Amino acid sequence: MNESPPPAGSPPVETRLVYAHGLAALITLLISVGFGVLASIELLIPDLAGGHGAWLSWGRLRYDHTQGIMLGWLGNAFFAFLYHAVPILTGRSVTSARLGQWMFGLWNFAVVAPGWVLVLAGFSQPLEWAEFPLVIDVFVVLALVLAIVQFLPPFFSRGLEDLYVSSWYIIGGLVFTLLAYPMGNFVPELIPGARGAAFSGLWIHDAIGLFVTPLALAILYFVIPAATRRPIFSHFLSMLGFWLLFFLYPLNGTHHYIFSVIPMSAQIGAITASTLLGVDVVLVVANLLLSLRGAGWFPRDVALRFVSTGTVFYLIVSIQGSVQAQMAVNQSVHFSDWVVGHSHLAMLGFASFSAAGGLIHVWQRIPWARYNPMMLGWSYWLLAAGVVVMVSDLTVAGLAEARLWQTSAPWIESVRAAQPFWLIRTLTFVPIGAGFVTLLIGLTTGDRGGGLLAIRDTVGLEPIKEIAPVFSEPL
Amino acid sequence: MKRLLRMSYLVGGVAGLGFFAMSVLLLGVWPGRVLEQQIRGTSPDHPLALTASEKRGRTVYAREGCAYCHTQQIRYLPGDVARFGAATLAWETIFDYPHLWGTRRIGPDLSREGSVRSADWQLSHLYAPRALVADSVMPAFSWLFDGAPDRPRQDAQDLLAYLETLGRDRALAGPEGEARARAACNCSDDEKRFGFGSPVLNASPSMARRQGDYPKLSSSGDLTRGQQLYSRDCGGCHGISGQGNGPGAAGLHPRPENLSEHEYTLDRLASSLWNGSVGTAMPAWRDLPVQDLSALAQIVRGFHAAQPEPTLPQDVLALGSRVYAAHCAQCHGENGAGDGSAAGQFPIAPTNFRTQRPSLAASLRALRNGVEGTPMAPWTSQLSEAELSAAAYFVRGFFQGAN
Ligand code: HEC
Ligand code: HEC
Ligand code: HEC
Repeated sequence: MNESPPPAGSPPVETRLVYAHGLAALITLLISVGFGVLASIELLIPDLAGGHGAWLSWGRLRYDHTQGIMLGWLGNAFFAFLYHAVPILTGRSVTSARLGQWMFGLWNFAVVAPGWVLVLAGFSQPLEWAEFPLVIDVFVVLALVLAIVQFLPPFFSRGLEDLYVSSWYIIGGLVFTLLAYPMGNFVPELIPGARGAAFSGLWIHDAIGLFVTPLALAILYFVIPAATRRPIFSHFLSMLGFWLLFFLYPLNGTHHYIFSVIPMSAQIGAITASTLLGVDVVLVVANLLLSLRGAGWFPRDVALRFVSTGTVFYLIVSIQGSVQAQMAVNQSVHFSDWVVGHSHLAMLGFASFSAAGGLIHVWQRIPWARYNPMMLGWSYWLLAAGVVVMVSDLTVAGLAEARLWQTSAPWIESVRAAQPFWLIRTLTFVPIGAGFVTLLIGLTTGDRGGGLLAIRDTVGLEPIKEIAPVFSEPL
Repeated sequence: MKRLLRMSYLVGGVAGLGFFAMSVLLLGVWPGRVLEQQIRGTSPDHPLALTASEKRGRTVYAREGCAYCHTQQIRYLPGDVARFGAATLAWETIFDYPHLWGTRRIGPDLSREGSVRSADWQLSHLYAPRALVADSVMPAFSWLFDGAPDRPRQDAQDLLAYLETLGRDRALAGPEGEARARAACNCSDDEKRFGFGSPVLNASPSMARRQGDYPKLSSSGDLTRGQQLYSRDCGGCHGISGQGNGPGAAGLHPRPENLSEHEYTLDRLASSLWNGSVGTAMPAWRDLPVQDLSALAQIVRGFHAAQPEPTLPQDVLALGSRVYAAHCAQCHGENGAGDGSAAGQFPIAPTNFRTQRPSLAASLRALRNGVEGTPMAPWTSQLSEAELSAAAYFVRGFFQGAN
């Protein structure tokens, strides 16, 4: 299939950078999942590392798990997607392929890999979603600046008129992440205690709200029309959703510290914003799901299948978020496994399904990339089953813990009660691990250009007018 | 038209940045100022900052992810206050760069941990948590030690020093400090109730206390339940058959009592279980229901196998009485109640022989070797062999009978 050229008229895509980031995403994903499953096993067999393994102790694995998922897996997957999407959205190539190579090296070999090693060696910060040590944060900020240099000029040189909604999410995501990252990583080191916690709370939510969500939504908004070959249901709704999201997300942060000493009015403000956010997400998701009409409940294109399932997870996790921010709910489930379930629904359900769908979508359009549809089909089912079981399990575990904490039972009773749920959670590693491995196999074996073949008959190859700039003639 | 569009994007861009700035101002900067004011009003004048060692300990706490299983933040909620004590005030964390509030509780909140457990308990627990708490899932931090719980490396010593600061400043503030802070606190009724109205600053059910009422135990208890509880909660220290040789015993000073060598009154067991033993690793068990404590008492008493009491000549008893009055009464008390004139000055209370009777062998051993980790020193250099055994015998006479 080597000879099959990319469709005429489409702008140059740095397929090698797409591929490199995609592969790095999958490898860091497997490593991060490995940290996670080891940590989960250590809750069942706490002396697994023999008590001598400082490097494999629970706390350090826990830090590496979430940092790896956010920066390694999602970060790389988002970059892979951007190298594909930005040229199509703007009709212009990214700033520089050379810069891309530097960014790739920086992100993986100055941020993710050394971050992991330093954490294991005992250098870290005890701040959620900010566990890599300060040295690493400097490189993250540098890489984020470079990402802006790399991806945003095409939008501005094209002009901002009639920008498709994915573009807005990309611009917003990159700019706001750059602003929010230092706030979460540096400020609490400078401002102590409760005052610092207020900023920390902001970042905990901004990490998901300003980095993960916008870029994942950029993928959803991009892949759905491209793979259904129909325009998005409503541009008005998509822009309304966008602005509301960027208005509300940053105002959510304090809901991580309800009933704390942080002023009650700030808590109530954050709770209100969290409630409204749920309403906004209903708008966004309705728009996305209505755009899927005609693709059937169960799209044949596996990329679309991942993405539409990610959309549904987004709806569920957001409504759950609005509910658990309410004081009556929060006071009991906070601190419990319920919240761990929530974050897996967000990161593993919504974000990872979107990112995986995005990766498969761009892979299909790299003429020389291998592609194995059967494996990808398996990957979908394994992951979907794994996420559903894991999240339900942790949610019930959280309720059980919360109930015991309301009584005068000894603390350790809640640990005992959680054990069977923790066992099930660890067992969900089997489908989830297998799902990610088959994803990797699906994208590295099979025929070269198999993806092009796979979509030629279903969705077609040409960029649709909706997404491509109006002036680039579609095929 | 084009210009208008351009304008609208400019407006949009500014609005977007505005949203972000607004969030930082509303939820970061403004609360910070309110908190600062609060801190100024409610903080004691000179809260103790961390020493160099305590600061290093804090770093260990941070890098090992302790904050991902333990919060340091008691919320303004009845459940939190009942379990852990008065809700956390803003000034209590002013030395925390960065804060260690945490958002998950796999283990209990540690805001007031400083006064809950003895140092030897903390070290042994860090070294091998499951030796002391059978079902714990806390990681063992044995690499902070030189192969034994009582040989902590610098890191473990620092961590212990840090743990002992938790809740210290609030406790030092005392009732006057609390009253002043309460008056100065610009907070709602609810916040006042949870922040200051808690009956105790530290509500941990495991914290040992020297005095305190205790429930009456029944002298019959469910033995199966008792056995189950004993092996789960006590066996790690006292050993499965009560010999004081459980896997967690090695690092504890004083060692867990050899229960099979002692007789206790029921009241004594009630008070030991309910209040723990201050200065030792023996925790309090105020979170166990009274039936469970009664069942445990049955088990503890069952370890003691009654032996035929030797009858000693009257003059031995008289010698014992003389030795006791001269050397022992200042600690163990005139009547053996552990309330001698000097008793108050020791971190570990001298044995009350009226409620606890060691076997003759144990008594003699205590006199010959002392009780390691307590002020009870060996008496071999001061007393003759005859005096030693006379005293060892004599103290057993105070016991008031098992019931
Ligand atoms: C995997 C979760 C986990 C981690 C990580 C963890 N702990 Fe724990 N910790 C627990 C659990 C569960 C308990 C309750 C059972 C017990 O006492 O062992 C506990 C209990 C404690 C207690 C006793 C509290 C009391 O008074 O009852 C202390 C002190 C403590 N941990 C300190 C630490 C320190 C210090 C660290 C970091 C070096 C740490 N823990 C890391 C889970 C954890
Ligand atoms: C962490 C270790 C530890 C655990 C767990 C523990 N003990 Fe103890 N216990 C001790 C130590 C140490 C002493 C010795 C105190 C002393 O010398 O004064 C002691 C003393 C005692 C005594 C003697 C009375 C006294 O106050 O000195 C009794 C009775 C006792 N323990 C019963 C129990 C029971 C019952 C349990 C389980 C519910 C239990 N212990 C759990 C360490 C422990
Ligand atoms: C400095 C105060 C002090 C003096 C003086 C002292 N003791 Fe003690 N004694 C203690 C303390 C403290 C303990 C340990 C209590 C514990 O382990 O909880 C103890 C323990 C004992 C025990 C062990 C009790 C048991 O149940 O195992 C015996 C026996 C004993 N003392 C006898 C004596 C005799 C006899 C004398 C006088 C020759 C004496 N003590 C003098 C403080 C003192």
